[in-house]
Amino acid sequence: MMFQEGSIQLVCLTASSGVPLFTRGASRQLPFSIIGSLNGVHMFGSGQGVTLSSCETEGGGRVVWRVFQDSVMLIAVNASQQAGQGVESSGQGVESSKGERLHLQRLLENVWNCMVMVLGQDELVNAKNLERLKRDLRSCFSLVDELLEERRPGILGHLTHCADCLLPPQPVPLQEAVQSFAKAADSEFGCLLIHGRVAAATEMWWRLAPQEIVLLSAVMRALSDSGAASCDYPVFLPQGSPTVAHRLLRFQLLPGADVCVLCGPTPSLHGAESTLVGRFWSPLVDNLRDCLAIGERCLPSSVTLRPDVLALLLINRENHRSVSCMPAPSCAYPQRDPPSPSEARCWELLKRFYIFCMTRYFKQEEAEGTTEEEGGTHQGNTEDFVNGFSHQPLKCYVITDECKSFALQTPQHQLFLLTPLTAPTFALNTIAAQTLSSIIAATGF
Amino acid sequence: MTQALKHGSIIVADWHRCKDSKEYFSKILHKKKRKIFGLLESPVMPPHVPVDTVHYKVFLSGKSGVGKSALAAHLAGLKVPSTHYETTGIETTVVYWPAKLKESGRVLFFRFQLWDCGENALRRFDHLLPSCKEKVDAVLFLFSFTDRTSFDDLANQITKWNESSGSPVVTMVVGTKFDLFMHCDLSEKDVRGFQETWQLPVFRMGCGEDDDRLDVTAPLFNSLAESLWLQDCIIAGQQV
Ligand SMILES: Nc1nc2c(ncn2[C@@H]2O[C@H](COP(=O)(O)OP(=O)(O)OP(=O)(O)O)[C@@H](O)[C@H]2O)c(=O)[nH]1
Ligand SMILES: [Mg+2]
Repeated sequence: MMFQEGSIQLVCLTASSGVPLFTRGASRQLPFSIIGSLNGVHMFGSGQGVTLSSCETEGGGRVVWRVFQDSVMLIAVNASQQAGQGVESSGQGVESSKGERLHLQRLLENVWNCMVMVLGQDELVNAKNLERLKRDLRSCFSLVDELLEERRPGILGHLTHCADCLLPPQPVPLQEAVQSFAKAADSEFGCLLIHGRVAAATEMWWRLAPQEIVLLSAVMRALSDSGAASCDYPVFLPQGSPTVAHRLLRFQLLPGADVCVLCGPTPSLHGAESTLVGRFWSPLVDNLRDCLAIGERCLPSSVTLRPDVLALLLINRENHRSVSCMPAPSCAYPQRDPPSPSEARCWELLKRFYIFCMTRYFKQEEAEGTTEEEGGTHQGNTEDFVNGFSHQPLKCYVITDECKSFALQTPQHQLFLLTPLTAPTFALNTIAAQTLSSIIAATGF
Repeated sequence: MTQALKHGSIIVADWHRCKDSKEYFSKILHKKKRKIFGLLESPVMPPHVPVDTVHYKVFLSGKSGVGKSALAAHLAGLKVPSTHYETTGIETTVVYWPAKLKESGRVLFFRFQLWDCGENALRRFDHLLPSCKEKVDAVLFLFSFTDRTSFDDLANQITKWNESSGSPVVTMVVGTKFDLFMHCDLSEKDVRGFQETWQLPVFRMGCGEDDDRLDVTAPLFNSLAESLWLQDCIIAGQQV
């Protein structure tokens, strides 16, 4: 399978001397000699004025390199074979390798951002003592492994670089509460997460770089999963504040409902928890429970989805937000012949379809603030097809032996949608258009 | 420093095994597992059984890898992580414990908030330790049965804490990884010697196996509750 768990290996080295700093992922580690060669071939290229960014092996494996801030080199290797096989059965095989590149490039960017978030840029860029850096880097492993393993299949932000959102049934009181809670905590940055997805956030929160929002959400999810009641985490913001740490205060209001603020030196965790949490959030317990009840649907019940929608991903291109939705299984797919793919499989297919469209037909907006290293080598994911035409494709569909997939884009939105095989192909366009307009009409997303 | 208490002098020991505790424990358990309470929630008793909840802040101290996060998860009935990921800031965990006072027969819900801060984060960021110490009621010093140096360092750890903290707090010692006795680095004699010198209770904990946690954790909870309650009484008495 294309993204089989644990098949990706990540290597981190110093850029100047190729000293290994850490490796993560894949149960079987790459032999040291191979790591050395991977580093060597990249160095050889730079010596010739060539930046090696990606290559494909004969067996269908893929290697992606990237140097950050002239100081750290990250290499991602996706094991061969597996990469080739599963994809064919998905019918999107042609695109496997190119999609893989996008996936791995995003991964490297996320990993670097996560290293900066935990350790700060200074320590990474100006490391004087490599042994110490190696030791300190261990504090990033929790997040890095989280990125490698992709434990939450419905969360796609690390791939789309759009914030995974949940649209609450009654957004206004929540929005107001986040705003006033943050203000009371001397912060402009506040965010409420339900099931690990953003349900409400202050205006300034949305001004953070999309990758930062995605990463902060990942931090919050990990904390939420661990069951901690509250946290005070020093975090650097890879784009907004790479050298000065802020404090991420996070509170578990209800299991699955977490609120956080980004603060300076005050208030203390103890103080904020004992004086602010109850005051601002107790009146909203019922509202929060209603949000939690939405679950993986991520959309309020005021949005009626057609029964032939298996799963969907809707992206707002302007504000870099996304909703991924799996309608409740009971009503969405009763016994069908042939049976519809499982929930986990649907997420997988949706992810692949997204990559397929983005690497082939749709233009990718790189979020503002993306670190432009190595002269934009990671840009050209869409190159061949799109660049060969003067116009932009608006729709695209793929039919496999598991489901039908349809995507459409407007200046503001991109919608990716899966339907069962029983849905007539000629109706896909209508299904997608209706789905898009009903979500927008009901939620203003 | 608070005096060492005889176990079971104020709080009924093993009360969780008594019939009359069922009603109370049923509020913190669900299918024999601990319920997870968000900050906006707490165990609720029916109106005719009024119960007070007393809040305490408990700091877990010990070097990286000793098992602070594992202990917090174990005590709170959460999933104990099997690999060591450094805690990169402060994480608190809330755990409720119903206990019965011997003399009055009064039942209280003790709400312990365990403050766990990764040791390397403490070293990297100066503001974390003061935050952990703010209004703290008790501190648990951890050592690991599989790491002799962590045991040898206890005295140092406790002295440092006492020097830098104002008011005395309840102090206890927890030896972690007791389930890994195969790799044990310490003898009973070592531990007893320490206990006598310092006059501090030492608890042996193993978070490895997933057995009935109430039985395993009850002695620590009751002892903590007892010491904290006594400390409160002493403070209240002084003020009057
Ligand atoms: N078998 C067993 N393993 C334990 C026990 N306590 C901790 N461990 C393991 O020891 C490792 C380190 O434990 P943590 O709780 O993460 O260490 P920590 O003290 O929080 O470390 P920092 O956050 O870095 O300060 C983990 O792999 C735990 O699974 C125990 O009682 N028994
Ligand atoms: Mg820890």
